Amino acid sequence: MKYTKLAIVVALSGASIAGLAVARRRTARPGGGSLRVERGLTALRLAARGGARYASNAPRLFASAGEHREALRNDLALQTAEDVAATLGTMKGVLMKLGQMASYVDDGLSPAARRTLSRLQDSVPPMSPELAAQVITEELGQPPERAFATWDPEPIAAASIGQVHRAITLDGRAVAVKVQYPGIAETIEADLGNVGLLRRMLKITAPSQDVDALLAELRERVTEELDYRREARNQQMFADYYRGHPTIAVPEIVAELSTRRVVTSDLADGARFAELASWSQAERDLAAETIYRFVFRSLYEAHAFNGDPHPGNYLFHGGGRVTFLDFGLVKYFTADELRPLVEMVKHLCVQNDPEAFRRAMEDAGFLMPDAPLPTDMIVEHMAVFYDTVRERGPRTMTGAYASAVTRRFFDFRSPLAAYVQIPRSYVILQRINLGLFALLGELSATADWRCIAEEIWPFVQGPACTPTGAAEAAWRARRTGAGTRTVRSN
Amino acid sequence: MTAEPYAAAAGLVERSAAAYASAVPVAPEDDGFFGPASVTWRVSADLSAPVAGLRSLLLQALHPLAMAGVDQHSDWRTDPVGRLAATSAYEVTVTFGDKESAKRVARRVRAVHTRVRGVDTVTGRPYAAGDPALLLWVHAALVDSGLAASALFGTPLTDAEADAYVAEMTVAAELLGVPPEMIPDSVATLERYIADVRPELRRTPAAAESMGYLLDPPGLDEDVAELWQDIRDAAVTALPGWARQMYGYPEPPPLTAARRTEIRQALGVLDAVFLAEPGVLEARQRLAVRVRSAGKA
Repeated sequence: MKYTKLAIVVALSGASIAGLAVARRRTARPGGGSLRVERGLTALRLAARGGARYASNAPRLFASAGEHREALRNDLALQTAEDVAATLGTMKGVLMKLGQMASYVDDGLSPAARRTLSRLQDSVPPMSPELAAQVITEELGQPPERAFATWDPEPIAAASIGQVHRAITLDGRAVAVKVQYPGIAETIEADLGNVGLLRRMLKITAPSQDVDALLAELRERVTEELDYRREARNQQMFADYYRGHPTIAVPEIVAELSTRRVVTSDLADGARFAELASWSQAERDLAAETIYRFVFRSLYEAHAFNGDPHPGNYLFHGGGRVTFLDFGLVKYFTADELRPLVEMVKHLCVQNDPEAFRRAMEDAGFLMPDAPLPTDMIVEHMAVFYDTVRERGPRTMTGAYASAVTRRFFDFRSPLAAYVQIPRSYVILQRINLGLFALLGELSATADWRCIAEEIWPFVQGPACTPTGAAEAAWRARRTGAGTRTVRSN
Repeated sequence: MTAEPYAAAAGLVERSAAAYASAVPVAPEDDGFFGPASVTWRVSADLSAPVAGLRSLLLQALHPLAMAGVDQHSDWRTDPVGRLAATSAYEVTVTFGDKESAKRVARRVRAVHTRVRGVDTVTGRPYAAGDPALLLWVHAALVDSGLAASALFGTPLTDAEADAYVAEMTVAAELLGVPPEMIPDSVATLERYIADVRPELRRTPAAAESMGYLLDPPGLDEDVAELWQDIRDAAVTALPGWARQMYGYPEPPPLTAARRTEIRQALGVLDAVFLAEPGVLEARQRLAVRVRSAGKA
């Protein structure tokens, strides 16, 4: 008997991307007991192959030194909206987004493929200074040299669907201005609007309503991301929330210079993730602690989750201080959506009540209510996800742990596979968790994660257990004292 | 006739890409027979080019003598992928190479053609690959397919551009030894020529077998096979109705805007896969730089 069982996970990453990953299991031959688990999907494999090219070409082309590079860059720069459509249309922009997602979540890809995928966007030529100026003029009503006191026509960074320029505002603020490729939103929306190919590429054989929900989620997230106004609102919300925080910084948005295709924020500088690797382990631990606090503080208190634990979205300043960039994908949770997650962690990690944990899983929709499985098997299966917070004591996040978590997540051979699913509203959360573990694993970060979690868990609110925690507690006391408004969740 | 079975099509993308990357010149002596401002360059670089290529093979195979030459002489059965890659390298060199390189590869093909002669087992007629009539049919099928595929799935040409394309391409037939006066140099003369040849065309068993193989090549990577279905449907859709009837292909449903978009998307993904192969992006960039500077001139 041959059958295909499919599990689907929508993965949505922020800076720029949204993607899908599909895993399915297949009985290879009857009685052979040989199960082949296929991870990833056609589109991601294609994107991965796409990545290989950039490994060999992009650095040579756009990162090589000297005059030649400038000449090529100018020769190949995107000069018109038609150039944008030709370069990123007919699925290439969509593939790039899938590829970016794959670059940090799919353990079926080699590290080299993941790295090259994360560089995929580097291969897209920058806009010519004239084209970028044209977008600024259309969006801000005047050319960049009038909209800003100083405008640097050379982009300082690529974004997946745009590029970043430095500028100084008329009132003297140094800012980063992200400018979207003209026409890219329409191009990507059109490609996502025609789901026939995506459907087949993703080899989705799940019940059609699931597929439609999945594609709807993908379209929705990408569409959100294409409108920079939403990103500006998200970023300002986080900036407001963390204002004054001892180690977390979020650049402020300049609202009057932000539109659908332009987002302007304070210019931030700092060390990139790659540089962090050369810092001392103590520094890396502190940076990891801040990222961890940011993710879970935002989730439990702000009910908001920044969707992209991508290494490119952090700047490091030493002493655990981190600037968080790029809020293109933020997921807000309602209290009702969050409650079952809180219940799960509470029953498993604090109250040690497996039956209650199981019920919470069922309430959340993760587990089918009448699954004929013993509770201890369910606990055993799920425990790996909570491994770092089940007990006190220092634990080191490793790449191996991150991979183990990812493997378990995608393990459709497990007897649980048929009864477990991820409701749509949690999909992003699960994915970002995986991304977070991968990131912390890359830093080999050590901390008493349980103790930090206890500080943050709303049902514990434990005392500070690190110097950062103490500073954070003081910040929280000041906030509450000042009557800072709590953050809306929408 | 004991025909060998066809070899698997694994490596189709990889080998075509390698052929392309090495055939696009690095430091050409001149702009060749077409040049960066030509319509030919645009058609060759069009998104629809794979559809054009497949459609042109489908048309070419309907000439019994052309098909017999391929079937009886080339390594088409044992190494179909290599054969296709070599053909595409030839086309790329003639299109984008300098004049000397184009002449050199054409001389080589003409030399091979002198050895390709025989008798077609279906019609009983003798054939020779160097016969201008056969060469012209192969040429006309290619040019007609460039027009048809770009019109349906790529960036369509204006009437004037279409005429220019047919006129520009006459040199490609000349390079292989077709007397200039025989070669259609406008859309109207091309159509007339194709109509004139039609009575000679038929689907021989060899054509049916090799085109069946091409439409559903075994051994393709799973992801490429998925895309190939769209390319194949597009090529069949782009065929003239009479050619579809000869093959016995069902009449395709009318091409809706949504289906056209889907095919273009498949072509875009295939292009991304192609670009991922070593050297392809650089080759594209070499051409893009030349086209850009020609545009400025």
